[in-house]
Amino acid sequence: MELFLPCLYAFLACLGFCVLFRINGLGAVLCSLGGALAWLVYLLTGPIMGNNDVIQYFWAAVFLSAYAEVMARVRKCPATGYLLIAFIPLVPGAGIYNMMDAALRGNTQDFLNTGLHTLSIAGSLAVGVLVVSSLVRMYSML
Amino acid sequence: MDYDKLLTLSSDLGYHLLLSGAEIYRVEESVHYLLTAYGVETGEVFVIPNCVIVSLTAPGQKPITRVRRVPGHGTDISRMEALNDLCRRLCACPPDLDRAGEELDGVIREVHRTPMAVELAAYVLLTSAFCLLFGGTARDAFCGGVCGLAVGLVVPFLARLGTNLFFKAMVGGFFCGLLAAGLTDLGVGEHIDLIITGAIMAQAPGLVITNFMRDIMAGDMMSGLVKLAEALLTGAGIALGTGVALSLVSALWGVL
Repeated sequence: MELFLPCLYAFLACLGFCVLFRINGLGAVLCSLGGALAWLVYLLTGPIMGNNDVIQYFWAAVFLSAYAEVMARVRKCPATGYLLIAFIPLVPGAGIYNMMDAALRGNTQDFLNTGLHTLSIAGSLAVGVLVVSSLVRMYSML
Repeated sequence: MDYDKLLTLSSDLGYHLLLSGAEIYRVEESVHYLLTAYGVETGEVFVIPNCVIVSLTAPGQKPITRVRRVPGHGTDISRMEALNDLCRRLCACPPDLDRAGEELDGVIREVHRTPMAVELAAYVLLTSAFCLLFGGTARDAFCGGVCGLAVGLVVPFLARLGTNLFFKAMVGGFFCGLLAAGLTDLGVGEHIDLIITGAIMAQAPGLVITNFMRDIMAGDMMSGLVKLAEALLTGAGIALGTGVALSLVSALWGVL
């Protein structure tokens, strides 16, 4: 239950974004499912990776871009939709807000802490995506 | 072949792809494939998040170039998929340029408007889901949903007025902060920080900062830097808005 509920919330949040980004029907469900599964990966890798969240985000991103590539092949549409929507629970939106909030309060130490943390999360997500998409590209070039 | 028409067609395709929220590399590749499909090997395309430049040199003629400036835009995945599909069809068997232009117009003219009520429901759903995901209670989720409703009402309205990115983020953040502080003071909400972080997720530039990293690592430096500036500006706008609202509420609460 403690794994199921957060994934359900991630699913619902993604579903909301599907409406805003105009993804309809089965695509919306699959994108949101991707978001929920990625969050599950994030939660499950926690104990294995010693609760280092930057690494957890990396594995979630690897899973997610593999999911997006598979779905793009199966449904014959660009992977963009999956990469956008399903990433939303993972991306550090709140991190940027906290970082700029600390900056406005004049709290330099917090600004640097949250800022570096946010950047490293964004970096590990980006590396996760690039690893998979580069591999897929190389494979299709063979 | 009429190279002017080809230039118009390919730059329009790039423009509309970018406008519907496609990635930089996808726009560049699509335009490039289209030019190659029509037999132009000397085509160049350069795309950054707010500009598309296409240039080609026809055999025995001077080079021709077209620049299209791209305004601030949302994301419309279904249109992007339609355009991608069209590009694939055109590249597979290039029809004559007038036909191709008509087909592009046909795709662009198909306007999908989500009903206002559905869009608002989506804002409420996603903000309350984020409040719960961040560890809030059911009452926090309710307050987050109210803030999301306010954002969903105000931000698209401001976007229609052509307001810039920073101001939109600031106003959205202001309403989030105001409602979150008000509802918490009234005893409806329990954790004000969770309500605010959940409620701002509808606007937060998390995707932008992840895409900035992706662009930089993939070698699109210019696009990456533009996106980094956008993410920092939006983040600062939201923080400023909520900060103003919170200090206003605490000042008023002190007086009352």
